[in-house]
Amino acid sequence: MKKAIALTLAAGLSVSLLAGCGSSQNSSGSQTGESGSTLPAYNELTVGEDYTDLKAEIKVITNRTDLEGDGTLAGYVAAFQEMYPNITITNETITDYANDMTTRLTNPDWGDVCMIPTTIPLPELSDYFYPLCDLSAIEDEYNFADNRAYDGKVYGIPSICNAQGVVYNKAVFEEAGITELPTTPTEFLDALQKIKDNTDAIPLYTNYAAGWTMTAWDAYIGGSTGDPNWMNVTMPQTHDAFAPGVPTGDSESGPYAVFNVLYQAVKLGLTEDDPTTTDWEGSKTMMNNGEIGTMVLGSWAVVQMQQAGPNADDIGYMPFPISVDGVQYASAGSDYCYGVNINSSDDEKIASMLYIKWLSESSNFSYDQGGIPVLKSQEYPETLAAFDGIELVADAPAPTELADLASNVQQDAELTLNADETHGKRVVEAAINGDETLDDIVADWNAAWNDAVDRNAPQ
Amino acid sequence: MTNEIAIIKIKRLILNIAKYALLIFSAFVALVPIVSCVITAFKTDEEYATTNVMTLPESWLNFDNFVIAWQKADMGHAFLNSFIVLVCVLAGSVLISSMLAYVLNRFKFHGNSLIRNLFTIATLIPGIATQVTVYQIMTSLHLINSLPGYIILMMGTDVITIYIFLQFFENLPVSLDESAILDGCSYFGVFFKILLPLLKPAVVTSAILKGVSTYNEYYMANLYLQDKTKYQVVSTSLYVFSGPMGSQYNYICAGVLITIIPALIIFLLCQDQIYSGMAAGAVKG
Amino acid sequence: MSKSTAAAKPRKTFGQWLKSMRGQQIVCTIVFLVLPLLLLFTFTYLPFFKMVQFSFFDMRYIGRRTFVGLENYIDVFTRDDCFQALLLSLYYMAGSVVQMALALLFATILSFKVKGDKFFRGALYFPCLICGISVGFIFKFFFTHGFVLDTLLSWVGFNVEALPYWLRDESINNIVLVACSIWKYIGTNIVMFIGAIASVDSTLYEAADIDGANAWHRFKDIILPSIRTIVVLNLIISVSGALSAFEMPYVVTGGGFGTSTYFVIMDKLAHTDQKVGLASAMAVVLLLLIMIVTYAQKAVERWMDKRDSRTPKALVQTDPNTAATASSASPAKVN
Repeated sequence: MKKAIALTLAAGLSVSLLAGCGSSQNSSGSQTGESGSTLPAYNELTVGEDYTDLKAEIKVITNRTDLEGDGTLAGYVAAFQEMYPNITITNETITDYANDMTTRLTNPDWGDVCMIPTTIPLPELSDYFYPLCDLSAIEDEYNFADNRAYDGKVYGIPSICNAQGVVYNKAVFEEAGITELPTTPTEFLDALQKIKDNTDAIPLYTNYAAGWTMTAWDAYIGGSTGDPNWMNVTMPQTHDAFAPGVPTGDSESGPYAVFNVLYQAVKLGLTEDDPTTTDWEGSKTMMNNGEIGTMVLGSWAVVQMQQAGPNADDIGYMPFPISVDGVQYASAGSDYCYGVNINSSDDEKIASMLYIKWLSESSNFSYDQGGIPVLKSQEYPETLAAFDGIELVADAPAPTELADLASNVQQDAELTLNADETHGKRVVEAAINGDETLDDIVADWNAAWNDAVDRNAPQ
Repeated sequence: MTNEIAIIKIKRLILNIAKYALLIFSAFVALVPIVSCVITAFKTDEEYATTNVMTLPESWLNFDNFVIAWQKADMGHAFLNSFIVLVCVLAGSVLISSMLAYVLNRFKFHGNSLIRNLFTIATLIPGIATQVTVYQIMTSLHLINSLPGYIILMMGTDVITIYIFLQFFENLPVSLDESAILDGCSYFGVFFKILLPLLKPAVVTSAILKGVSTYNEYYMANLYLQDKTKYQVVSTSLYVFSGPMGSQYNYICAGVLITIIPALIIFLLCQDQIYSGMAAGAVKG
Repeated sequence: MSKSTAAAKPRKTFGQWLKSMRGQQIVCTIVFLVLPLLLLFTFTYLPFFKMVQFSFFDMRYIGRRTFVGLENYIDVFTRDDCFQALLLSLYYMAGSVVQMALALLFATILSFKVKGDKFFRGALYFPCLICGISVGFIFKFFFTHGFVLDTLLSWVGFNVEALPYWLRDESINNIVLVACSIWKYIGTNIVMFIGAIASVDSTLYEAADIDGANAWHRFKDIILPSIRTIVVLNLIISVSGALSAFEMPYVVTGGGFGTSTYFVIMDKLAHTDQKVGLASAMAVVLLLLIMIVTYAQKAVERWMDKRDSRTPKALVQTDPNTAATASSASPAKVN
């Protein structure tokens, strides 16, 4: 027995030594051409009619531990299997999704469907994921179809789409005497102050300790400028992107204004006393019970807050209080996108595409979760009523030659927006400790950002 | 003279009081986080929400939280997997470490001290830092998502176990080996028939130390045993509580206690052997 | 075993060589070493060498990479956060010295007649039995404002409102984390020290008792010299552990409010920012640092050896039979 292990080890070892770690890309790259042509494209499949006797086993990896825990995912699988009884689906959910999934992708055998981690630069998507179809084939039907697309090919289908706003408790707002929803940072801070003065609720709950919740602030950056090209095209070529008044010329809008809301709220004592021991799950109940006034989170959070207690009707959702030239914008975009493993067998790929297509078109997943629908033809959920008349700003993709510019600049500057919690946390810490002003922090960010822009952006 | 004795007696008394005060205080410090956990684990949802954390629960027979935690975290399965992992890892690492220690202690050969140094330096290499490359190696060996793979990884010799065995061999007289060899025993025979049985105290000690660290290891278990429905071990089953049940400390505490209890029982049963094993190992200067 | 005889078949003389003691010894050495060395190589050194290789590249976990020479190393030394984080390690180093001292103290006390020694031994070892994830849960609960610790302190008269936020206040939160880590790890040290102390020849104590040596002398002149090897081993492990402190800030505070140790920063750079090359360089630098510290410790130890050898030899190194005379002759004994 020992010998056997030793031999296996030695054999595997020599392979790994010879091949190095570049091997996975080479082998997967070469398969793209072979298998790409024979399969039907994603848009050509009709769920419920095609391939109903297909036999396959697929593994689906997502970040929704909550939905696995309450049986929602199993319910989807069961509904799907009514049409496709021979497709077996195993769900797996990961708590620390972004980190773990990136590591797992180095193993070609990771599974069949996953939510594509944003750590993979767009030009390298084809090394890991199967090109589902041409962008032109679905962009008229699907919202945000270009989120994980490169060079005209779609690699990921949005799992759910979000509008970025603020969850608030209507009862708390009423008790505090706030009659109109704030539309600028100043109005918002005034409203928080009213909550503090007139109620027992915590005006703004940061959810600092959960970590990932702090990345929500980044999501408002796009909306704060009113410019769809800002995130992926302009920002990574702009010096001092975090300075006050950039790019709108008004310090009440733009990235600086977003973080200034956080900084001021903490500094004025409008947030929880001890951010280090905050608790995400508990915050849902507190929000539902009116112990919290507001939380900044994507629209996906609304349903969870409503379900966390008896007061679902008290939960409201409003756009982030930033206006550009008097017009209020809100960022909108896709959450994680489903991608299909390029190394899966043909049958597994088809089964995966069918399941993804069913999830996005027929499962009502996005609607149930309070998101913007994946299909343009689907209805908006009621929770987004307050967004009527608000301009949604979806970040436009960069042209192909600049496709990975935004992620390169962000990672180089160590300001990975929407993924890295440390910069948001730093704002909270500075405001509590009083050892740094927001301008000090922004000066640091800008210095790193400018270097990264100089290194990565085309001159 | 009597005076002197009296002074010594008083001194002893004061020292004794100080000693017990210190011991009681530190035992309190060591246990209080767990005690708070026990208190919370017996509270109902409502009690947890309304009473102070150190208020005793209404009923000490409220095992509901334990049942819920057990089911939510699928702990029956987790315990089975942990048991398999433990048995294999312990058997493997005891055998490997004792063989290594035997060779290093009994035979003089070129590279003996080099090998000792290699193992010592290995403890200094931070495991978290090499995690990416280890993952690639595990991938190329097809050891991901398999219990044997995780077991092999965990067996990877650790220096404390080797050290305990090395010390132990130092105390087993070489004359034992020599007389056995005169009787016609081979070196393998000497090791397996004569020395290994004598190593029992060292085996128990190292098995306990290694066992505790294996049982509690979560970083690699999470990374390499990905299919949680099949390969979940006790430590990773706790991840359930950082997800949807993150705030319900009454469940979390129950889950934590469930995972501690088996380790505690085994420790209490083997406590004497650990110390005598350590002593017999004669960890001398 | 069967393998060696099978291999012996082709040549008689070779077979004879195999049967000779020398041959057997070599076969035995090889067979017994193959597995441990293979495991060591596969899971420690191979990854390590690859990591060294990574440190010269600008690369992410997956995808393309470019060779950048020493740039990552230059980065490590020019960034402020890396070496600032190493200052935090001073807390953990101080903590590990405290931990060793406490462990020695408890081990010594518990090695002699104490009522309820089993209970105390068990209680002090207990935290070692708890998984890191649980420790994270437990301490977040423990230190939450108004929860366990604050309640306990209010019982002895502290005003809860006046108590600091244990994990938020940057003047104390690192000390709190170090205390947590002492809590978690001291048990192993105590177990090892108790075991070592138990192996000390008890006639030495009797001899010392006749001389009227007090507890401190007994500790300093008999126990400490006897168990020095294992104390040094533990000290080396825990000091290098202090430099690479990770678990406590990772599970309890997530590195917030100035508790990011070197490894927490490295983990963030490698995962969130995908700067794998830089993170690898950080790891290599840290390893070199640990080796330097370890070497320095050993040098100090050797220097102390030399100094010791000039004064009369420590008790254990003398024959037990002459120990009594040796101790009475020792200038260290003052009655």
